[in-house]
Amino acid sequence: MDETALIQTAQRGDLDSFNTLVLHYQDMAFNVALRILGDEDLAQDATQDAFISAFKSIASFRGGSFKAWLMRTVTNACLDELRRKKRRPTTPLEPDTEDGDEMESPRWLADPNMTPEQQSEADEIEHAIQHCLDDLPAEFRSVVVLADIQGMDYNEVATATKVPLGTIKSRLARARLRLRECLRGFEELLPAAFRLEGERR
Amino acid sequence: MMNTRDLELLSSYLDGQLTPTESARLESRIAADPEMESALADLRAARNILRKLPQRKAPRNFTLTRKMVGQNPPLPRAYSFFQFSTAFASLLLVFTFALNVLTPRLNYVGPINTGWGGMGGGAAPQMMEEAAAPAAEAPALEMPAAAAPEMEALPTASADIAPMAKESGQEVESAPLTQPEANPPAAPIPVSWQALLLAVGFISAAVMFVLREQAKRTWR
Repeated sequence: MDETALIQTAQRGDLDSFNTLVLHYQDMAFNVALRILGDEDLAQDATQDAFISAFKSIASFRGGSFKAWLMRTVTNACLDELRRKKRRPTTPLEPDTEDGDEMESPRWLADPNMTPEQQSEADEIEHAIQHCLDDLPAEFRSVVVLADIQGMDYNEVATATKVPLGTIKSRLARARLRLRECLRGFEELLPAAFRLEGERR
Repeated sequence: MMNTRDLELLSSYLDGQLTPTESARLESRIAADPEMESALADLRAARNILRKLPQRKAPRNFTLTRKMVGQNPPLPRAYSFFQFSTAFASLLLVFTFALNVLTPRLNYVGPINTGWGGMGGGAAPQMMEEAAAPAAEAPALEMPAAAAPEMEALPTASADIAPMAKESGQEVESAPLTQPEANPPAAPIPVSWQALLLAVGFISAAVMFVLREQAKRTWR
C-alpha cells in the first residue's frame, strides 16, 4: 500500500483511496476508541465519526505521520463521545443476565480460536485493565492507550493528542503508576505471567 | 519520597527516551535507591500488561459511502441542458397563464368606458347587475317608462333583460345588448402552446430524473 499516493488522491476527493486507508487503520482506530470509551457500541460510533471527519478534513493534512493525524481525529471523536455520554445514561460493558447479574464473559468478546480456559483468562485480563483504564482521567487514558496499547512513539502521541511532548511524558508516567496501583487490586485475578512482570527486566 | 520529575525520568528511561548520559546517571541513582527501583518495576509492569492486551478486530468495516460524506455523483453535460429547459418551460408557462388571465380583463374594460362615458371601468359590471336585478326579481311589475332608455344605454347588459322587458310591454332594442365587442376577447396564447410548454417541462424533468438515477447507479 502506497500510503502517500492514497492520501494524495484522497485529498482530491477520491473516496476509494480513502477507504483503502480506512481498511488499513480501522482495527487500530476501533481499539483506540474501545479502550478510551470502554464500550463497544460507543467505540463503533466514534470510529465511524472519526473516519467521516478525517475524510472531510484530509485536505488539511500537511504530511508527517498519517497514523498520528488519524488517531487525533479518533481521540477527538472519543472525547466528544465521552462528553455526550456524561449527558445521557449508558449501558454497561458487561450485559446483564436474566437474573440481573453481570455475565462473566460477554458473548461478543468470545474468540472462537481460544480454549474456554484461555478465553476466560483473556477476559479477566481485559476486564481488569479496562476497569483501571476507565478510572483514569480521559486525557491520561488517551495517552496511555496510544503509547502503551498501540505502541506509538512520544512524538506520534503528542501529534495525536495535540499536547506538548513534556506533558505527554508526565501524563504517561503518572498514568502508568496509577494503573499499576489499580491493577494490584486484581493481582489474584491476573495470570502468573502478568503478576511477575514487575520483577522482570 | 520520589517526586514527579523522577517518575517522568523513569518512565522515559523505560521507553528509551533518555540520552546515554541521562540514562547512565539515572541507572546509578536506581542502583542506590530501592524506592526508585521499585517505582521502575511498577512502571514496567504496567506497561507490559498494557502491551499484552489483545488487539480486537473491528466488528465491521468502517469504509465510507458517498452519502456519508455528502458527495453527489458527477452528472452528464446533457443534465444542465434539461435543467435549463425545465426551468425555461416552467417560466414561460407561468407567463402565458398570467397573460391569458390578465389580457381579457384589460380588454373587457374598453367598451364599458365608451358606453358609460367617463364612468370608471371597474364600476360598470356592478351597475349593470344592479339595473338588471329589479327586472329579474319582479317580472310582473310594470317597468317604469324611464327604464327603457336606461337599458338601451347599457351596451353590455345580459341578453335575458330583453325578454323580460318585452314581457313588461316595453319595446327594447336588442341590438346594443348583443353587440359582439361586448364579449371578452379570446386568450392571446392558445391552449395548445401551453400544453406544449407543459409537455416540454415534464419531459425535461423526467429526463433529468433518469440521468440523475443513472449517474447514481454507475457511480456506486
